[in-house]
Amino acid sequence: MTANELTAAGLSLAYGRNTIVDELDLVLPGGAVTAIVGPNACGKSTLLRGLARLVEPAAGTVAIDGHDVHRMSARALARRLGLLPQQPTAPDGISVEALVRLGRYPHQKALRPWTAADQHAVEEALRRTDTADLRDRAVDHLSGGQRQRAWIALALAQDTPLLLLDEPTTFLDLRHQLDVLDLVADLNATADRTVVMVLHDLGQAARYADHLVVMHDGKPAATGRPADVLTAELVEAVFGVPCRIVPDPETGTPLIVPKARTERATQTRPS
Amino acid sequence: MNAIARQRRRIALLALAGLVLLALAMLAGLCLGERFIPPAKALGALFLGTGDAGDVLVVGRFRAPRVLGAVIAGAGLATAGAILQRLARNPLASPDVIGISGGASLGAVAAIALGLAAPLTPLAALAGGLAAAGLLGLLSLPVYGAKASPRRGTGMSATRLILVGLAVQAGLTAAVNLFIVRFPAELASSALHWTTGSLYGRNWTEVLTGGTAVIAALLVALLLHRRLAVLDLGDDASGSLGLRPATGRLQLLAVAVVLASLAVALTGPVGFVALAVPHLVRRLAGPPTAGTLALTALCGALLLLAADLVVQHALPIHGLPVGVVTATVGAPWLLVLMSRQTRPTLRTAP
Repeated sequence: MTANELTAAGLSLAYGRNTIVDELDLVLPGGAVTAIVGPNACGKSTLLRGLARLVEPAAGTVAIDGHDVHRMSARALARRLGLLPQQPTAPDGISVEALVRLGRYPHQKALRPWTAADQHAVEEALRRTDTADLRDRAVDHLSGGQRQRAWIALALAQDTPLLLLDEPTTFLDLRHQLDVLDLVADLNATADRTVVMVLHDLGQAARYADHLVVMHDGKPAATGRPADVLTAELVEAVFGVPCRIVPDPETGTPLIVPKARTERATQTRPS
Repeated sequence: MNAIARQRRRIALLALAGLVLLALAMLAGLCLGERFIPPAKALGALFLGTGDAGDVLVVGRFRAPRVLGAVIAGAGLATAGAILQRLARNPLASPDVIGISGGASLGAVAAIALGLAAPLTPLAALAGGLAAAGLLGLLSLPVYGAKASPRRGTGMSATRLILVGLAVQAGLTAAVNLFIVRFPAELASSALHWTTGSLYGRNWTEVLTGGTAVIAALLVALLLHRRLAVLDLGDDASGSLGLRPATGRLQLLAVAVVLASLAVALTGPVGFVALAVPHLVRRLAGPPTAGTLALTALCGALLLLAADLVVQHALPIHGLPVGVVTATVGAPWLLVLMSRQTRPTLRTAP
């Protein structure tokens, strides 16, 4: 078994009586970058929160390398798995360094002061995310891209082999999106982190992920290598968008090209 | 020097200044009165029991407990306010706004009006405060509906908490008044005097038991500060850092309720210390840390003691309860806060 493999078995997640994810079975390979994609309200974020034990499952289990996460203490889990929420909000006026230091929480003990190991993890996180120059700046005064990198630095300081990112590129411009995705690829390649992230852009998911999970109505519609999974039929079935799949001219990975408006109109509205 | 070190130095300097001012104010509290007792004599009378027998009595029996009562209650109220404001993410959350002080008052007034022994008053206040917090929690629990937002579905909504808290506070104040009008005149009048927030007639037993408990609760609050800082990041972030938000919030809420209730037991529901001091400290010392929490306790002690000195010695009317002064200063402050909250916040460029 690969280390840091995340598995869900019969997982159902619900808010009140509103079932979002229904009896889902999923294996997310360790050591890889997995992207979860799907239309709005398909349960992508809920699935991610369920995998991180932020939602109590209505049924089923989540396990890391076969260990049930619901039997781990909250801290023990937080030393193995970190999650960056979608659009997190930092307290007013907090500096980047103070924010990143909070990532050490699961490693700290009640009366033990800040250690050299803590500081080392913080410096490493600042360095990797290229936020060391921003350490004294207030998080709420940063640009969107800088802020996202500061939050990723917090998740890195947590020093977990498994890293879950909920829409890390949303609300960023193209360059900052690519910065974040390059950082993810880098973490996977050089820091040996297993990454699971929710993305919106299918082309980016195909470029950056080794493994793709396409969610549809609370269930995985397809899983596997992006090149195998992304077909015109699947995209039309899941997103309702007729399209062509062409090889990305830069990387050769699948690229989704929606059909022209006139053609889509005749296809989706048969008389 | 980086931002964290700079802020630490700032907090240390402010704490030093605060301690000096507090020492001076405490000394003033011992010396001033109908009869001025010079500092050396007052300290001698208090600590060594030397000098004029009248001085020993006045300083030891009356002035010293009153000074200490103000220090303890001020520290407790301000810290409780700081914790509640951060938990609710709302600058209006404070024990006297959301009903905790009301609950503690009801408990204490009930104990006084029913003629229970004086040492039971703080316990009754504590029970009242905890009951009010329980009621508040019950009433402001999130209600899941078909349209409940998944991401905000857990935890307490700040607006809901404040609104429910205002109602709880109003209801409890009404209950306190009911006690006062229904009970024998002599008990009722001492209860009434107590509800306006007064430090008059505090004795050593009350001050020492209350003080020990408040100091213990303050230490617990400082120990739990890391949790408070993690909770500041929101429920999902705190959950993924290994702190279940509901558990952390409950622990900190309990500490805040204990601090507020013990303070209320000593002074009555003195308003606005808990509301105003955390803002003041934030302005002076920057974003919240464990250091600013300790500084908040110190400034709360200083503010309430200063207000009590003003009440006793600087006003033409005698015998005013200290709560009247803090409320007079505090009401405009509350209005300013509210108007700031409704105004759109402008982000300044870095």
